[in-house]
Amino acid sequence: MENIESKLREEAKRLLLEKRADIIVGYEKGTLPLTATPCFVSTEAEADKLVYNELCTQNLAKYVHDLITAHKNSQKRVKPEDRKKKVIGVVARGCTTRSLIIHLQERQYERDEVYIIGVPCEGYVDKKNLAKALDSAEIIDGNLDGLQLKIKTAAGDKTIAVSDVIAPNCAVCRFNNPIISDIMVGTPAPVKNPATEYDKISEFEKKDIAERWDYFTKEMEKCIRCNACRQACPSCYCPTCFAEQSQPQWVGIGEDKSDTQVFQCMRLFHMVGRCVDCGSCISVCPMGVDLRNYLKKIDKDCWELFGTRAGSSMEEMPPLGKFSEQDKEDFIYNP
Amino acid sequence: MARRKFATLKRFLNYIGVEGDRTIFTWVSASEGDRFAQVIKGVTAKVKALGPANKMLKNIA
Repeated sequence: MENIESKLREEAKRLLLEKRADIIVGYEKGTLPLTATPCFVSTEAEADKLVYNELCTQNLAKYVHDLITAHKNSQKRVKPEDRKKKVIGVVARGCTTRSLIIHLQERQYERDEVYIIGVPCEGYVDKKNLAKALDSAEIIDGNLDGLQLKIKTAAGDKTIAVSDVIAPNCAVCRFNNPIISDIMVGTPAPVKNPATEYDKISEFEKKDIAERWDYFTKEMEKCIRCNACRQACPSCYCPTCFAEQSQPQWVGIGEDKSDTQVFQCMRLFHMVGRCVDCGSCISVCPMGVDLRNYLKKIDKDCWELFGTRAGSSMEEMPPLGKFSEQDKEDFIYNP
Repeated sequence: MARRKFATLKRFLNYIGVEGDRTIFTWVSASEGDRFAQVIKGVTAKVKALGPANKMLKNIA
């Protein structure tokens, strides 16, 4: 990873110097030990703060969309012939490129407005798994040594292998290498274990309907409607989210549990053919709601019914943007 | 496209715990009055069998 980091910084400097990108979105060291946080690099000197390791969690496609939208809005009052394009460079691993593909297919920006610096991905460390492995002991300091986490906690020192605390979505990742990229830094990572990706979902499907509903209500009761999942999700980019719309008001703003359920249900359902299983929503959720159980189900249905995986190819249309004569019709009611 | 949405919606709602029989989708042409009556009869029968819907219901005091 050290090697990738130095190459990444070099590449970022070159892009900024040659003016091929105006801003580069990447990761920098976080303020807390063993964290990485998204950062924006616009000068060469800043490029040295870029890092890339197993602690980088967030999907950066969200920031690409935010930056481009903000730039476009700022150009609205500029005469059309004087409008400038802004190129955003982005450090992208598999799931980030999938999100970028979704944005491109949904015509959010043009391909030449992004410069994709592809990086291989071995999966990232899940905060919740890490806390579990440390028995919730406070992390005082820590560093990443190869694929080993050396951690100093309030309850003594500990060494944990990254693979033991990898996020559940990374463990079954199918696309851990960039699908599209302008330049690739580092060599492609070996594929993960995607054969088991739907195991948990198939198991949950077999449960009794009452049990499923109980689980859903139990999980949604945890939700405090902070909207962090929506803010972190690269596919959630509506200028006005249905959750905040007042005419009509789809969901109430109170703390009634039906409002929370409806909000989550609608947000989850907006992810049909658009969720790339990057785990950003789950990693930012302060209450630990099991969103993945539902998002993965949507992904599974999409694969089973339409044979597509969100953002898996630039050429393929999004599943809800097309139809096929071979689509199953068993859900249609015929009296 | 609508049919694809409904196919996934029905599965999704059933997955979270809303009975599949509550999400019913079909096509009825304006000229198919009899079919329309049949569909409505069928739907009401299905929903009656399930009883009142009490999921995701807001209690307005």
